[in-house]
Amino acid sequence: MGVPDFGRFSDPSLLILSSLAGGKKHGYAILEDVETFAHVRLGTGTLYGAIARLEESSLIEALATEERGRRPYRLTTAGMAFLREQLTSMEALATLGLRRLATL
Amino acid sequence: MTIYKLLLLFYPRVWRARYEEEFLVTLASRPFSFVEGMDVLRGALDAHLHPCLGTATTPFAEKMRQMCSTLRCSLLTIFCAAVGFLLAGLSFQKMTDDAPFHEVAQTSGVVSLSFHLGVIGAVVALLAVLAGSLPIAVAVIRFAHEQKRRSFFLLFAVPILVYAFLLGVSFFLKTMAHPDLWPARQLFLTRSLLFGIVIVAIVASLSTACYAVARSEIPEKFLYFALFVSFLATISMALVEVSILIWGLGLHDGAPQIFSGNNGLVGSSTAGT
Repeated sequence: MGVPDFGRFSDPSLLILSSLAGGKKHGYAILEDVETFAHVRLGTGTLYGAIARLEESSLIEALATEERGRRPYRLTTAGMAFLREQLTSMEALATLGLRRLATL
Repeated sequence: MTIYKLLLLFYPRVWRARYEEEFLVTLASRPFSFVEGMDVLRGALDAHLHPCLGTATTPFAEKMRQMCSTLRCSLLTIFCAAVGFLLAGLSFQKMTDDAPFHEVAQTSGVVSLSFHLGVIGAVVALLAVLAGSLPIAVAVIRFAHEQKRRSFFLLFAVPILVYAFLLGVSFFLKTMAHPDLWPARQLFLTRSLLFGIVIVAIVASLSTACYAVARSEIPEKFLYFALFVSFLATISMALVEVSILIWGLGLHDGAPQIFSGNNGLVGSSTAGT
């Protein structure tokens, strides 16, 4: 599949996808989750800039609103594949980097 | 109106229709900070630069309508900016010709500083426009050459021909319409005609350039670069406009006699210009 280029929204997008891999979440829940597991405080403007791009690329989809202003999102099949591809690539990079560091 | 709703007004209408409600709830869930406010404004700028965002569920026909509307608005904005800049520049150039201006410029720091800021802003804006448009023009010419589209070369010739025509008309009017020979009414009419030709020249140049660019394949990196320099050009043009305003007010205080005649654009009131 073609890899979407999200520019400065690449890192936030990956964090959002990783958060949604744990189940459907609405905007604020994503912010809280990302802050907990990655210690990154995303701004609301950045969050929705990334969500809009992910939705546009069909990597996530919006579900029906649960309560006023609480619209959950979930990963699509394409989103899961994209996240897996990205994380596998990062894992390979981390493994290689650690192996090289160990030889120093 | 809360600060949250006020910040949301900076986002495009289409974007707000899709995300406003949840955005407000998320924004209000945390204590507001300056950093958060800047992030929201940055997001608003990004949403304006990417008008397709927030239209994932919009029907195709509606998307096309929005795209055409955005394109129309962009062209109108460019046109208004060009005319505004031209008006400011012409007024500036016309009023700095007079000797009383030079006297005030030497004694008043505000007039002198705003004059120089205006000139610097104009030069930076011009250089930014040239830097941004040159790679795109080269890409269009290359595309026209590869695809053998000779009509594109003609399109590019339009701004040059229009400019040459404008120079010719200016020269003719300068030679023929001398203030000592022609009555004031006739002078006003000829100058108005010149001004009308300038507006037509802007419309013709912008339309042909936009037509050629829209139908060519331009590398994305050139368009991104143009976006950056157009931002710089906009800031510079805003600086020119503000400088001219301050310069005009400073000049009005220092040399009110300059504003009493009818030496403004196309022979109109100087103070009005």
